[in-house]
Amino acid sequence: MVGIFIIGILMLVGAVSVVVLRQPVHSALALIGVTIGLAMLYFILQAEFLAVAQVIVYAGAIMVLFLFVVTLLTAGKEEMEAEDTLPGQRWAGIITGLVVGLGLAVVIATHPPAKLSTALSGSFGGLHDLGHQLWGPYFVMLAGVALMLLTGVIGVLVLNRPETVNYKSRLDLPSGVSLVDAEQEGKK
Amino acid sequence: MILEIVVLVVKILLLVAILMGGFAYTMLLERRLLGFFQLRLGPNRVGPGGMLQPIADALKMMLKEDMMPAGADSFVYRLAPVIAGFAALSVDAVIPFGAPIHLLGLTISLDIANPSIGLLLAFALSSLGVYGIVLGGWASQNKYSLLGGIRATAQIISYELAMGLSVMGVLLMSHTANLEGIVLAQKAQGWFWLPQIVPFLIFMVTAIAETNRTPFDLPEAESELVAGYHTEYSGMRFALYYVAEYINMITQSGLIVTLFFGGWLGPSFLPPIIWYFIKVIIAIFVFVWIRATLPRFRYDKLMSFGWKILLPIAFLYFVGTAAFVSGVL
Repeated sequence: MVGIFIIGILMLVGAVSVVVLRQPVHSALALIGVTIGLAMLYFILQAEFLAVAQVIVYAGAIMVLFLFVVTLLTAGKEEMEAEDTLPGQRWAGIITGLVVGLGLAVVIATHPPAKLSTALSGSFGGLHDLGHQLWGPYFVMLAGVALMLLTGVIGVLVLNRPETVNYKSRLDLPSGVSLVDAEQEGKK
Repeated sequence: MILEIVVLVVKILLLVAILMGGFAYTMLLERRLLGFFQLRLGPNRVGPGGMLQPIADALKMMLKEDMMPAGADSFVYRLAPVIAGFAALSVDAVIPFGAPIHLLGLTISLDIANPSIGLLLAFALSSLGVYGIVLGGWASQNKYSLLGGIRATAQIISYELAMGLSVMGVLLMSHTANLEGIVLAQKAQGWFWLPQIVPFLIFMVTAIAETNRTPFDLPEAESELVAGYHTEYSGMRFALYYVAEYINMITQSGLIVTLFFGGWLGPSFLPPIIWYFIKVIIAIFVFVWIRATLPRFRYDKLMSFGWKILLPIAFLYFVGTAAFVSGVL
């Protein structure tokens, strides 16, 4: 129980830091901290596979890509504050966040859901249990998600396909000179 | 309870000691072997056969001035080598070094933790190692460091996929992701390197790429990038990157041995743990051998090799193994 609170506080600090820190790389680091904290919460719930999947997918892959982009874009740039285009949005955000958070806390405290007090099954979130769930009762949903992801991947490939360019016309080669000749000319 | 905690602490200390000692002498072994490969002697002056060279190197590293570039991001600059070292050391916690031993009425398994998802945990922890490289490269605020870090990111992300797919066959054949279970499955079914020969080769290639070693050492290609991501590092922080690289090599060797060469299994005239270390040393020798033999890849070739050759082959073999194991074939 103590562990949950410690990790929770660390995650909250991380989550706030993601928003507050000026340097994008620091924000990304804080976000990595939050994902690892979430993985630890899964570990405490003995959902080992979920925890490891969380680390592999989010900390190991998605956040690496985030950092890849952020380091590439912020290298050598001074930290600067973007101009506030919408005055007062900061305060509005803080107040809204507090109100929603407090509301949720009050609701949970006064009406604890029945499921919170029932124990989880022993193999919850483990490799075998999750596998049986996914390939048993939830197979249709799994196939649907797989299809959706596949559509996304194909979409990326189609959108990023290299343009078929007619190099010859672009280079304005004089007639009688082939592309190979021009290439060799360029190499010399 | 207290006895168990004491055993655990002793095991952790032993593991760290073994890995740090292993790092020092793997480095010496590599330098001597590279010397022999290049028809020279390598470092042989300090102590008999150069055996004290690692201690001299460590002293030198500790006494060096620790510098930080003026424009560097001091927090991330200090954090990055620590992440690299942590990720390298922590993976070994789930690799079993030998069959469980019986001591003082206790059964002690020769790994720190033996979770049911040991293999996946090893992957998760080792996938964090890339942060050490990319953050170190970024925090130095040096264009060569940054390019090295960015190259490392793209390379490791690309090769991790093929690596993950290449071990799926082992997982399917042993019906478990527990590393001890995988070794025991190999006791029953024979070592997996033969039925999984293609994934084994892919794992070997990706392991070299993941540890940033020649021929995949583009993140630190000295002909283009000075020293890549650790250009600005000196003293112990620089040493920590070296520690991480060599311990990663030992770890990947350990994973190769555990997944494909039966871990600690072997004829009974030697104890299991000795068999394990013999196999790891052979794997390390192959790593060094490849480094001494092959030149560095070109970057675009590296990318197309990873995505267009390794990944499809690993996937096809994985599907084939799945069909075979489930009895369709």
